[in-house]
Amino acid sequence: MMRKLFYVSTATFWMAVAGFWIGNLLAPGSEQTATAAERDIGVAELARHSKPDDCWMAIRGSVYDLTQYLPDHPSRPSIIEPWCGKEATEAYDTKTKGRQHSSEADALLPKYRIGRFVGGS
Amino acid sequence: MASAGSTIRPLLIPLLSVAVPIGFAVWAFPNDLAPIRAAGIVTGWLGCGLLLVSLLLMLREPRLAAWLGGLERMYRWHHGTGVAAYVLLLLHPLLLAANNLPSARVAWLTLSPFTESWPVWSGWLGLLLLMGGLVTTFIRSIRYGTWRWLHALLGLGVLTGLVHLMLLGIDEPVLPILAVAAAILGWRLLRGDLGLAARPYVVTAVRPLAARSVEIVLRPLGDPALVAPGQFVLAEFGNGARYRGCGEFHPFTVSTIANQDELHLAIKALGDCTTRMLAIEPGVAARVIGGFGGFVDPHQTAPQFWVAGGIGVTPFVALLNAGPLLHPTRLLYLYRSEADAAFLPELRAAAASDPNFTLQAVETGDDLPDLGPLLPPAGKLSRAECYLCGPPGLIAALKPLLAARGVAARHIHYENFEFR
Repeated sequence: MMRKLFYVSTATFWMAVAGFWIGNLLAPGSEQTATAAERDIGVAELARHSKPDDCWMAIRGSVYDLTQYLPDHPSRPSIIEPWCGKEATEAYDTKTKGRQHSSEADALLPKYRIGRFVGGS
Repeated sequence: MASAGSTIRPLLIPLLSVAVPIGFAVWAFPNDLAPIRAAGIVTGWLGCGLLLVSLLLMLREPRLAAWLGGLERMYRWHHGTGVAAYVLLLLHPLLLAANNLPSARVAWLTLSPFTESWPVWSGWLGLLLLMGGLVTTFIRSIRYGTWRWLHALLGLGVLTGLVHLMLLGIDEPVLPILAVAAAILGWRLLRGDLGLAARPYVVTAVRPLAARSVEIVLRPLGDPALVAPGQFVLAEFGNGARYRGCGEFHPFTVSTIANQDELHLAIKALGDCTTRMLAIEPGVAARVIGGFGGFVDPHQTAPQFWVAGGIGVTPFVALLNAGPLLHPTRLLYLYRSEADAAFLPELRAAAASDPNFTLQAVETGDDLPDLGPLLPPAGKLSRAECYLCGPPGLIAALKPLLAARGVAARHIHYENFEFR
């Protein structure tokens, strides 16, 4: 019984992994596009969105509204929430521990893009 | 108090198996997440909790085993909780990926081990170690000595899975869990596998018992192990003048406890290591952990029906050697040939001298006989407690036959000695 459950579940798992891989191969390549019109956002405007229920971040020259995404972030809220309303490229690139974010995160970002960061404004 | 304890005891393992994983899932339950992502996180925590219970159930501590209903029962649940945890942990990454399914690309990026970073690589590594450890668990042809080290991959998989959580930044509840898991694994390695919990003995006599079976006598060199008639111990033998021990603990049923602390063990050659033990000699040092089990309840007041297959007769011999039986007891003893029948003269002598004991000795040849005609009629079994000890095939064949004669499952007791 245990042996059967192990073999069936393992085979099903690898079939599902293969299914995700094939789905990725068949998916159109240009599905991740910016969803908002291009506009300039300065430091002052960015700083007004510094709470978990209204959270913008500037990363690599773009501003992202991550309010909807925050609950999905894998780490504790105390790690990501302090970066709301701030330029967070360094934190994004190193996760504050010298480790880069995954390509999954890179692929998710454009979905939340709302404009271009103008640092001096 | 004793009756309350004995009522709760059978529930302890099921309670642990439910409370620990549910406790983890409740503690870490994510609010305000998409249902599929929340399910992915919950399956991860449920799997983590079940793995912790499974680790606890592999400890070979006599007192813990007595609390939890015996080592054999602990191992059954160790297997069950381990496989259930594995299934949940397979679901964990699949659900997290499925949550992003509106985008097949992001879903694959969530799951893919090739495009990720250490947090995901460690998760994959943990899962693959569990997978590899379980594959070898289910391959019976692997030698026990090799098998147990491959089985240790599962422990490594558990630790890697916990490191995966820490790399995700979830270190607050994980550090204590990691400490407990490492403590359990270390405890088992030091006390069980390396034998720090074992008591020192020496072999003082060896006598042939039947074909490919010997009975050895062990004298304690210090405090003896606490063993009751009908129990088994885990024993490992060192080197002698000619004998070379294989450095592994194996389970052996105690056939007699003489002079309060002298153990007689029945050894049947079933594998490489036990075959080597047929040549064991007096003077060989031994280490003993136990006793465990004791599936025959000496406090039962009902008549008893015992069925033994081959060397499975040993716990019944131990009970007969412990003193006259208090209740009418019938033993159906099945063996291939007279040459294979361990303890047959002793059993015949007991049947002649003890009015409560009836022996039904049956030579079966190489095949399992038609058991139906060998069993007592339903009327004689209606109040009896049935105790079965023998190869798994015999136990599996007997259970439905006894049920057909009206014996309820709670009155059928058996031990499998399945320690893989």
